[in-house]
Amino acid sequence: MNTTTVLPPPDAPRGAAAVATGTATQRSAKIPKTPNDREGFRQAMAWLHTWAGLILGWLLFAIFLTGTLSFFRSEFNLWMRPELHSMLRADTAQAHQVAQAATNAGSAGLQVAQKSIDALMRKVPDVTQWILHLPDERDPAVNILWRDTGNGRFETLRMDPQTGEAIDTRQTMGGDFFYRFHFELRTAQKGRWTIEGRWVVGVATMLMFIALITGVITHRRIFKDFFTFRPTKSGQRAWLDAHNVSGVLVLPFYLMITFSGLMIFHTLYMPAGIAATYKSEKGVDSNAYFAELQGEKAEQRVRRGPGDKVAPLPAIALKPILNEARTRWDNGRIGSVQARRDAKGRAVVEVTRHEGDRLQYRPPRLLFDATTGQWLDQADPTGPAAKTYGVLYGLHMARFADVGLRWALFGFGVLGSLMIATGMVLWSVKRGAKHLGKSPSQPQMQPDGSAATAPLAKPFKAPFGERLVTGINIATLAGLPLACGVYVASNRLIPVGIDGRADVELAWFFSAWGLTLLWALACAVVRPSRMGWSVPLGAAGLVWAALPVLNAITTHAHLGITLPAGQWAWAGMDLAFLVNGAVFGWLSWRLRPGRVRRASAGAAKAPRQVGPTPDVSASRA
Amino acid sequence: MRAARADWRYRLAIASRALAAAGGGYALAAGFTAALSLLLAQTMPRVEAVLTATMLAWLMYAIAAGWAFYARTAWGAWGGTLLPALVLGACAMAPQWMKAAT
Repeated sequence: MNTTTVLPPPDAPRGAAAVATGTATQRSAKIPKTPNDREGFRQAMAWLHTWAGLILGWLLFAIFLTGTLSFFRSEFNLWMRPELHSMLRADTAQAHQVAQAATNAGSAGLQVAQKSIDALMRKVPDVTQWILHLPDERDPAVNILWRDTGNGRFETLRMDPQTGEAIDTRQTMGGDFFYRFHFELRTAQKGRWTIEGRWVVGVATMLMFIALITGVITHRRIFKDFFTFRPTKSGQRAWLDAHNVSGVLVLPFYLMITFSGLMIFHTLYMPAGIAATYKSEKGVDSNAYFAELQGEKAEQRVRRGPGDKVAPLPAIALKPILNEARTRWDNGRIGSVQARRDAKGRAVVEVTRHEGDRLQYRPPRLLFDATTGQWLDQADPTGPAAKTYGVLYGLHMARFADVGLRWALFGFGVLGSLMIATGMVLWSVKRGAKHLGKSPSQPQMQPDGSAATAPLAKPFKAPFGERLVTGINIATLAGLPLACGVYVASNRLIPVGIDGRADVELAWFFSAWGLTLLWALACAVVRPSRMGWSVPLGAAGLVWAALPVLNAITTHAHLGITLPAGQWAWAGMDLAFLVNGAVFGWLSWRLRPGRVRRASAGAAKAPRQVGPTPDVSASRA
Repeated sequence: MRAARADWRYRLAIASRALAAAGGGYALAAGFTAALSLLLAQTMPRVEAVLTATMLAWLMYAIAAGWAFYARTAWGAWGGTLLPALVLGACAMAPQWMKAAT
């Protein structure tokens, strides 16, 4: 690019970058002061970072936060089915032992599996396919997915591994809701608009990827910002520091999580390579691709229509199969066992190794003849690219992580949510600061023609667009945590027997979110008020802190029982809810209207904030 | 303050660039994936070729989107994404066309 240009063409975004990044830059100053190449590039990237971040930032926040909660999907699944706690009450130590032993494929594991399968066969004699997940340290129950059709929905059956008795649990999506919302914006228990949802999430992920890369380019002092946080400086500085610290600190995690997110659904988002390479006379053979991707043989993959009839399964030679699997994996843990009929109609058993045994997803699978128990095949991709893909997939899913690492990843996810949240608030604060920077003697400078007032004389009314952004900021950043809390609370409050209970829980979630949006619009757009942030944050704090209490009133899986018994899978959730409630309560307290007014009156020399955008020095969790 | 007309033109140009970044960038990334998959499939298993190309494609997409907002004009944004996309697409289609010709 030549550097002699003095005036860029009217559409050059470098000018816009100056508007977006400069604090007191006036709107007329669209021409960059230093039109040299390096700055021009950086400013273009800064502009792109700002707008790519703003446009889908709210969605990204929702995706990031629900994804973070999904690290504890199993734990939410358990906590939201308190009926499962009953099987621990008899003898915790023994139950724990059974759970441990079951995955180790020893005789206890064989017994548990055999007992469960016998119970399933009694219940559904003509079952055509089942997948049995053995209990482990995160889920003490035996989970069986089964169907008696060729290609229908799977039913779920939960069993006590000690007795083989089915446990009736309340209808709920549990942690699966956060998980499903995270990648396909699921709004109902039975999937709807799932492909559309995945595309929307994909677009948001791509924008996040772009925002990350442009953010790194924009950031000239990336190392220094590791150590820079100036909460007492002016509002905008503090927000920028918070955004930088949360962004830079775990940048590798963000890059990994967005990139792997794109790769997990690459067959949906970017099928061009498959279309070009797997082309045959009969069209694109995507079945072959999926088979090779998972290290299977294409001809063994079953493709049935909804109406296809499948013969029921015969008796399974479970003992030799599990013994053989244990030998082949050198005592590795067994995660699940599946029985089905393959493409030729032969009954086969597939043993899947436990997901905690390695980084790469998915775990290796051994294929056996179901009746003779003879080993047939191992399914596991071996190519370097497929392994790389598997590791990316595994890192994203974090099924390998034990408790400590899981909490660390959860912390990274919280930091990521914070990075997005502070970025969104920063946009508002910056905009506000720009209005303040304007001389009060030029009130006609307002972009929308509204008269600007002297900055500190009375609350400044920002243009509609900026008030709208603030409103949606409140609805998303404070409303989503509130809605999540309400969703978990609804699990204890909605009567257990009612029809479509799982969807009623979701209705609570979306109602809470919608109400917060109405509140936020009222407090930010209609009549700017400082109450906008503190009320939903306070409500979120109350709801989360109330969860352990609700739990104690409605179930026997409460802290009074789980804490003395050392059942950390249960107690940990209640304690985490309490901490979360305290954090939100503290945030709400910091943002209460009276406090901020006093603070800004005391610090009149530093124009801190405008309108209903908060000025917390530290930020939300 | 810029005149309203110029402001309107500015917004149109930004929208055009955004479209170039999203659509043109995707076309470029897709063409890149298809062409590189075919090329790599000569030397490695198909699935490996596709995965390698697809992983690199996201970087191409990000670079294309960056270009769309860095180019001097909105037309440059379109040219810089769509032209390489067409070339790469032609490369990806070449084997098929040659097969049809013979």
